[in-house]
Amino acid sequence: MFDFLIHVSIMASLYAVLALSLNLQLGIAGLVNFGQILLFGAGAYGAAFAFSNQLGLAAGIGAGLALAVCVGLLFARLGRGLGGDYWGIATLAVAEACRMLLQTGGDLTGGAQGISGLPPLFEAGSRQDAALMTLGVCLAFLAAVYWLCRSLTHSRYGLSLKILREEPQLAVSLGYNPNALRTQVLVLSSMIAAVGGVIFAHYISFVGPDQIVAAETFLIWAMVIVGGVGNHFGVILGAVLMQFLFAFVPFAKDLLDMPSDYVAAMRLALVGGGLLIFLLWRPQGLVRERIGGGHRGG
Amino acid sequence: MKRGMLLAATVSLAAMASAALAEPLKIGAVLSLSGPSATAGEDQRRGIELAVEEINAAGGVLSEPVQLIIEDSGGRVPSALDAAKKLVTVDDVPVVLGEYSSGITIPMGTYVVQEGRIHLNMGSSSGKVRDIGENSFSVIGLDRVSSGYAAQDLYDLGYRKIAVITPNNAFGQGVAQEFNQAFGGLGGEVVSSVLYTEGQTSYRRELQQMDRTQPDAYFYSAYGKEAATINREAFELGLNQTQWYAGYMSMCTSDSQPEYIEGQIGYDLNFIGDNGQAYEAAYQERYGEPFVTSFSGYAYDAAKMIMKAAEHAGSTDPEALRTALTEIGGTGFEGATGTILFDESRQRSKQPYLKQKIVDGKAQAR
Repeated sequence: MFDFLIHVSIMASLYAVLALSLNLQLGIAGLVNFGQILLFGAGAYGAAFAFSNQLGLAAGIGAGLALAVCVGLLFARLGRGLGGDYWGIATLAVAEACRMLLQTGGDLTGGAQGISGLPPLFEAGSRQDAALMTLGVCLAFLAAVYWLCRSLTHSRYGLSLKILREEPQLAVSLGYNPNALRTQVLVLSSMIAAVGGVIFAHYISFVGPDQIVAAETFLIWAMVIVGGVGNHFGVILGAVLMQFLFAFVPFAKDLLDMPSDYVAAMRLALVGGGLLIFLLWRPQGLVRERIGGGHRGG
Repeated sequence: MKRGMLLAATVSLAAMASAALAEPLKIGAVLSLSGPSATAGEDQRRGIELAVEEINAAGGVLSEPVQLIIEDSGGRVPSALDAAKKLVTVDDVPVVLGEYSSGITIPMGTYVVQEGRIHLNMGSSSGKVRDIGENSFSVIGLDRVSSGYAAQDLYDLGYRKIAVITPNNAFGQGVAQEFNQAFGGLGGEVVSSVLYTEGQTSYRRELQQMDRTQPDAYFYSAYGKEAATINREAFELGLNQTQWYAGYMSMCTSDSQPEYIEGQIGYDLNFIGDNGQAYEAAYQERYGEPFVTSFSGYAYDAAKMIMKAAEHAGSTDPEALRTALTEIGGTGFEGATGTILFDESRQRSKQPYLKQKIVDGKAQAR
């Protein structure tokens, strides 16, 4: 059971990182990104490319970051000509197009069969030690990202992002450059998601196009919405809560002696139904964003 | 020699010790019960359940009823890993069966093998499954086996210019790649190789693209609904004047109108042997319909084989199971899908297929 808890905690912290990255775009800067999973995929494929070229973890992180920055810049460039909702649809289209490219990429990307055999982050000691060390890295990274997002949000810079979100024209009149702000936020959150992708790729030892389907983006969206759009702590809570619920549905099945096909239905009901309940009755999520918190507060 | 004796003594002692404790065999399975591969996953569940029910009705394994724990992967790698980790670390199963898509089978199998448990692959035919590790076995012939068979068959029938169409996923890419290699190796030519996107309403463009290369036969392997579309449009375009060859005949033709597939030839899994026929009858009786996919048979065989291995080893310990599986697979296990023989990397090396032809809308042996 302990090993299982370590595993679920690793997954939860990686999803929390992805949710924080999305929250920075969606919750703070008001960027409706439906292509979030591609940023994660950039990191994962970066690690995989480095691996298939016999390069180590550092090169993987470098490649992942480089790919993610390219995607972030592309998203930002699209944002110049498109209004908010249209931009969201464009990001979805780009993410799907990239997934198809990776799927038909031949030997370079491994095609639909992906790239397998990536080494784990830590190989020394027992498997449990290695898992604990991986968890340590994930938690440390999550804490760093949380701190970064928080300090960013509470700085003057964060305020300018919120103005961009609420009143883009006011932001312009105050002398802010919306394109520059948008680009900076996208590049930063891309890099955060990409590092998450690199860790994930090494943790599960496999990278393939099925990992970056659009449904995964909406799972991250669900975590952000349940946790509370705009509140970094809430978003982490949402990710952890959903990941643990997901992982423990099978235990409920065992306890209640239900047939295994119910689990599938229950998972779907949890995401779909849970999301609907929150949107209808608690649109602010578990933890509400603090408005006017200025330089302090959650 | 001395070391060998010592080893043998230790192994048999260990086997005796665990036989004395006679724990019930627990079989874990991770299947796509929801998500894009749910049809195949559900069918795999049927196969495993039938096998376990049969054995339990006959007194179980090691005089204990077998416990079956099935988990859903949702067709996602993270959920499949959650499920496999639950099976290994909480339920403490010695063996995990699954999955269907090779993108999930490979990471899941890798994890199971790392934990020193047995992994049985019964649905992924990607060649990369071979590299999962020491404790991983395949009861399904990998792409090289099935596509090599089709290539040889087509070549023997005198066809030299083939157009290939398969789905753009791990299965389809693997089939096409291995077929192209095998057919080229025989001296034939693959004039076009098309990967189609699943779920489209029309494949006319793909078919016309293939038509322009003037093949003397088409080789295709496609899922029921999409195969139906391909067959209908090939008929409408007059492409059925050229010979069509189906990889996994029942999968390719189950949803198609009889007039569109008349005269097609191909191969399918062989359910003709005694075990196969008994299984087919049991499946029909239990679920009230013919096979939905070809994959339930492999799942049935995987479950049967691991239960036989446990009985053979007199133990449910993964190490003993591995030795037993290697032995049983080395001499040949008579399954519903024919004789299962493992090669040196624990993959099914040969698979008897059935050559078929569609006559009056029905598949017949040719």
